[in-house]
Amino acid sequence: MSDNIAKRASRVSLLVATPSAAGMLAFFFLPIVIVGIYGFQTGELFQVGEPWTLDNFHSALTLSVNHTMAWNSVVTGVLTATIAVGIGLPIAYWLHFSAGRWAIPVVSLIIASMFAGYLVRIYAWRTVLGSRGVVNSSLESLGLIEEPLQYLIFSRTAVIIAELHLLLPFAVIILYAAVRPIRPDFLEAAEDLGAGPWTRWTRVILPLVAAPLASAWLFVFIVSSSDFVTPQFLGGLKGQLIGTQINRYFREAGDYGKGAALAMTMIVFYGLVFAVIQFALRRLKLQRVDWD
Amino acid sequence: MVTIAALVFLFAPLLIVILFSFHSTNSLSLPFEGFSTRWYREVLSDRSVRSGLEVSLKIALLTAAVTFVFGTAAAYGVSRTMSRLKGFYAALFVIPIAMPALILGIALLSFFSDRGIRLSTMTVVIAHTVFVMPFFYVIAQTALNRIEVAQLEAAADLGAAPFYRFRHVILPKVLPVLLGGAAMSFVISFDEFVVTYFVIGNESTLPLVIFSRLRRTIDPSINAISSLLLFVNLALWLAALIYSLRLQRRRRLDALAQTEDIV
Repeated sequence: MSDNIAKRASRVSLLVATPSAAGMLAFFFLPIVIVGIYGFQTGELFQVGEPWTLDNFHSALTLSVNHTMAWNSVVTGVLTATIAVGIGLPIAYWLHFSAGRWAIPVVSLIIASMFAGYLVRIYAWRTVLGSRGVVNSSLESLGLIEEPLQYLIFSRTAVIIAELHLLLPFAVIILYAAVRPIRPDFLEAAEDLGAGPWTRWTRVILPLVAAPLASAWLFVFIVSSSDFVTPQFLGGLKGQLIGTQINRYFREAGDYGKGAALAMTMIVFYGLVFAVIQFALRRLKLQRVDWD
Repeated sequence: MVTIAALVFLFAPLLIVILFSFHSTNSLSLPFEGFSTRWYREVLSDRSVRSGLEVSLKIALLTAAVTFVFGTAAAYGVSRTMSRLKGFYAALFVIPIAMPALILGIALLSFFSDRGIRLSTMTVVIAHTVFVMPFFYVIAQTALNRIEVAQLEAAADLGAAPFYRFRHVILPKVLPVLLGGAAMSFVISFDEFVVTYFVIGNESTLPLVIFSRLRRTIDPSINAISSLLLFVNLALWLAALIYSLRLQRRRRLDALAQTEDIV
C-alpha cells in the first residue's frame, strides 16, 4: 500500500520537473544538434542550404588562421587556468586554516568583486593598460619611460590579465569550498607521522582537493579560451582567440556552415580535455572525496 | 600576502574606473584634474542609456521569475523522484554549465533562424533562462537535499498531502535559498553580454549600449555607467548579505530557544 503511494509520489515529482526538462531539451540540446547539422551544410548569407558537405570541417581543421587562433586559445586558456588555480589554492588554504575572523570579510570582498560587470572589467583594463592609460602616463610622468609601452595593451598578456581578473574569484570560491572539509587534525596527524610541509601538501591536501581543483581549472580554461569580446578590445592582432573567428562567421560573414563546423570542433575539443582530465584523475586514484 | 596582492589586483582597476567617473575632463590618464559629476549627469539624461537600462531591467526580471518557477520545479521534482529517469533529468539541467556562452549564443541564433522565430526580448529571456538554469538548479538542489526525509515522512504520517508538504514543510526551509538563486539569476542576466549579442532583435540592453560605446576610442561616459552598475550590484549584494545574516541569526536564536525549552 505505502509502496504504491511512494511510487505515485515519485511519478508526480518527475512530472513536476518535466516542463523544465522539456525546455532544456528544446532550447539547449536541440539548438546544439542544429549547429551540428549546420556544420555539414553549405553556408549561404546568414543561413544554410544544400548541398551536404564536409568542406566546413575540412576548412575548420586546415585554415592556417584557425590554427593560429586555436593555438592562441589553448595558450591563453592553459595559462589563465593554471595561474588562477595556482593563486586560488593558496588563498583558499589561507582562508580556511589561518584567516580566522578575516575569512568572512575577505570572502565577501572576493564575491563582491564578481559583481563588476563583464564589459566594465574589459573597459577598466583598457583604462589601466592603454597607451595613454594609467600605467603608461604614470611611468611617463615619473620619467621612467619616454614613450608609452605599446605592448601593455593589445597583446595576449593583456587578454590573460583581464581573464584572470574575471575568473580568479570563481577559482577561489570553488577551491575554498573544496578545502573547507579538510580538518586541521588531518595535517596535525600527518605532522605527527613526520610529514614536512611539502609532504603535507602533496600527500594530504592535493589528493583531497584534486577533483574540485580539476573542475576549477577546466571551468577557467573553457571560459577564458572561448572568449571573443576581451580579445576584441585588448588582444590586438596577436591576441585573438578562436571565438573571434566563430563570431566573425556568424555575425559578419554570415557563413553559418563554416561557423557551425568550427563551433562543433571546439565542443569536441573541450569534451576531449574533459575526458583526459577524468581519465588522469581515475588513473591517479584521485576521484572526488565523499565527505559525508 | 598572496591574498592581499589578489585583492589589490581585483579592486584596483575598478577603483580607477570609479575615480575617473568623477573626473572633470575627458582625459583618462593621471594626473587627476579635479572632481565633477558631469559624466553622471550626462549618462543619466542619455536616452540610449535609459532605454538600455529599461530593456535590461525588464529582461532580468522576467529571467529571474521564469528561472525561479521552472528551476524550483526542476530541482524539487528531481530531488523527490525515484524514477530511472532521475539521472537523465539531472543531466539535462547540469550539463549546460560547461557550455561556453559563445556556443549557446550561436546555437540559439541558429535554432531561432532555423525555426523562423523572430529575435526579440522574448528570445533573450529564453536564452538567459537556459543560461542561468544550471546555476539555479545546483543551488536549489543542494538546499533541497539538506531536508531530512524523516521530516517529510512525519508530515505525511500526520496526513499532509504532497502539495501541503511542499508548501508548509519544504518551502519555508528552502525559500531563502531559492530567492537568493533568483537574485543571482537577475544579476547574471542583467550583466550578460555574449549570449544576448547573438539573440537580441532591434532593442539594446545596457551591456550592448556599453559595448557600442567601447568601440569608440575614448568615451568617459562609460566610467559613469560602469560605476553606476557597480554601485547598484553592490547594493543588491549587500542587501542579500544582510538579509541572510539576519536570517541565520534568527535561526540560531530559534534553535537556542528550543534547546532552552528542552532543558
